[in-house]
Amino acid sequence: MTVREIVKRFTFIEIFQGMALTLKRMFSHAVTIQYPKERRHIAPGFRGQHALAKNQAGQAKCVGCGLCATICPSQCIHIARAKGQVDKYEIDILRCIYCGFCVEACPYGAIVLTENYEYSDYKKENIYMKKDKLLSNWDKYMPGKKGEEYFKKFWRPMSDDFGTPPIQAVWRGKKQ
Amino acid sequence: MLKVEKTFETRELNVNMGPQHPATHGVLRLVLDIDGETIVKVTPYVGYLHRGIEKLGESLSYFQALPLTDRMDYVSAMSNNIGYCVAVEKLFGIEAPERAKFIRTIVGEMSRIANHLLWLATHALDIGAMTVFLYCFREREWILDLYEMICGARLTVTYPRIGGVRNDVPQEFLESLWKFTDEFPSRILEYETLIDQNRIWLKRTVGIGVISAEEAVNWGMTGPTLRGSGIPYDIRKHAPYDAYDKVDFDVPIGTEGDTYDRYRCRMLELRQSNRIIRQCIEKLPKGPIMADAPKFTLQPKDAMFPVTHPTKQHAYYIEEKVCKGCGMCLRACPAKAITGEKKKPHKIDQAICLQCANCLAVCKFKGLKIVPGGKGLSEDKLKELAAAPLPEEITKATEHLVEHFTFVKRGPRAPEGELYVATEVPKGELGFYFVSDGSGKPYRMRVRAPSFIHAGCLPRLCVGHLVADVIAAIGTIDIVLGECDR
Repeated sequence: MTVREIVKRFTFIEIFQGMALTLKRMFSHAVTIQYPKERRHIAPGFRGQHALAKNQAGQAKCVGCGLCATICPSQCIHIARAKGQVDKYEIDILRCIYCGFCVEACPYGAIVLTENYEYSDYKKENIYMKKDKLLSNWDKYMPGKKGEEYFKKFWRPMSDDFGTPPIQAVWRGKKQ
Repeated sequence: MLKVEKTFETRELNVNMGPQHPATHGVLRLVLDIDGETIVKVTPYVGYLHRGIEKLGESLSYFQALPLTDRMDYVSAMSNNIGYCVAVEKLFGIEAPERAKFIRTIVGEMSRIANHLLWLATHALDIGAMTVFLYCFREREWILDLYEMICGARLTVTYPRIGGVRNDVPQEFLESLWKFTDEFPSRILEYETLIDQNRIWLKRTVGIGVISAEEAVNWGMTGPTLRGSGIPYDIRKHAPYDAYDKVDFDVPIGTEGDTYDRYRCRMLELRQSNRIIRQCIEKLPKGPIMADAPKFTLQPKDAMFPVTHPTKQHAYYIEEKVCKGCGMCLRACPAKAITGEKKKPHKIDQAICLQCANCLAVCKFKGLKIVPGGKGLSEDKLKELAAAPLPEEITKATEHLVEHFTFVKRGPRAPEGELYVATEVPKGELGFYFVSDGSGKPYRMRVRAPSFIHAGCLPRLCVGHLVADVIAAIGTIDIVLGECDR
């Protein structure tokens, strides 16, 4: 055993170094947030609760082609049609895995995933989303221009993705 | 002569550790035979988290099965997604464009950092170091927030796609990630200040679970668990995928093959991942993010707009002369608006028709026509309009639409054959083995999960040590039971 190791062993130097670090961190800002009072920033395009999109006339864009129900890996979308209209559009939220494939498969841009993630409830019926609830989600979470912006950014793929768009993120800083 | 009568005899005690034990990383159950405090035999029981992902994969199309891979190794979901996509791309014979490859390398290395941070956090917590746990989660949160910025989810990301990635990275993402890579090395030093030379940490890790290089290979170990024994086997180096052949990085290896060496290996890997991310950000080229392979990717949405845009009031009409009465559209129509007998021209009831284009996608004889702006017109008027030639933009959009419907309903069709592709995920070698019968779904999907194989090595690592060292051994092989049980 070298002198250095003996000194290390009897002075507890590595323990004190660690404790000094924790002491230093005591005076830095807290990284935690107090959840119900504070909320974290939700990035746009967050894959939360669903909404059925409305067109400018205020009607549902959905025509009922059923592609979302076909591609859904957990088969949680149920659609029924009657008399040239979408009679029933239901999403079993408890089955949904939030992959966002329904948004990608829809050729009509009729379904979106909103930023709402707080919808726990005591009753199962309240979590089973019916058509009018899904439509009201659109007014609630995608008001004004927000809906349009969502489709521009997160309804993918677009032709841009198969070619080179004029504005693309690249590293602009100094190269090392 | 004094004769001692044998009054009692000892036998090994049988103890169940798990599946609810907090240090067994989920639901691993170990049956330990112990002699006093010494382990005599270990039998791991797996399968408590079995969801049948391999079997589920057989009933979903190649595109749909992607979210399943998120749920295998949920700690580094991104790496699993990439592994799946790389394998399926090879099966299809397509290649992701350059930019997509770089983005995938970036997010893959981010997931390696996130995984190693969670491993370090829980491993240290199991052994008794609480502060490291909190510090590691601080940085992991940062990475998860960055994930949210690019794909809208933090844990189950589903970000890569077959032939590219879901959407392009924004500029803020690159800036924020660069800031992260600037700060991260100093954060690694913080963890090391806390545990690297700490005498408790050393006593719990040095000389525990020693496995020689030869034995480690024989047990099928991969990843940092193998590299700790001194074998520089890394798929990123040996069979580069994505952009790993365009970046410079080292493969850290250990010498002794004990728990401490495997810990050092992973700490050095954190630094290497950081280095790879920085290089990739600098080199990130401009270009497409999805491969130009129309049969294997979703169609661009804006190319379908002339038909699908909500302001367009199209009608669909069946031309009597062309229709052979095959009944395809009749079966495809979700609203049951199409009527007609076999081998006789079918007819669309315009009052019930949803204008959803399902019929258009299946018609092989081009008997179905779009009548632009024909919604609500009378039958005779429609017949008149349908005879006129269609504008070119609508013909083109229809082609895209048909392709899109076919892709979603049937899945991308793979060529017949079988193939095994391995990628380096943070835990080791993740392999996907596909047997394809030429349809849109795999005939068989087999996953070679590193966690499963490492869980099998536990008896070798634990025998002869004390009960408390089992926890260190479970920590050091870095298993996630979601991947192990699948």
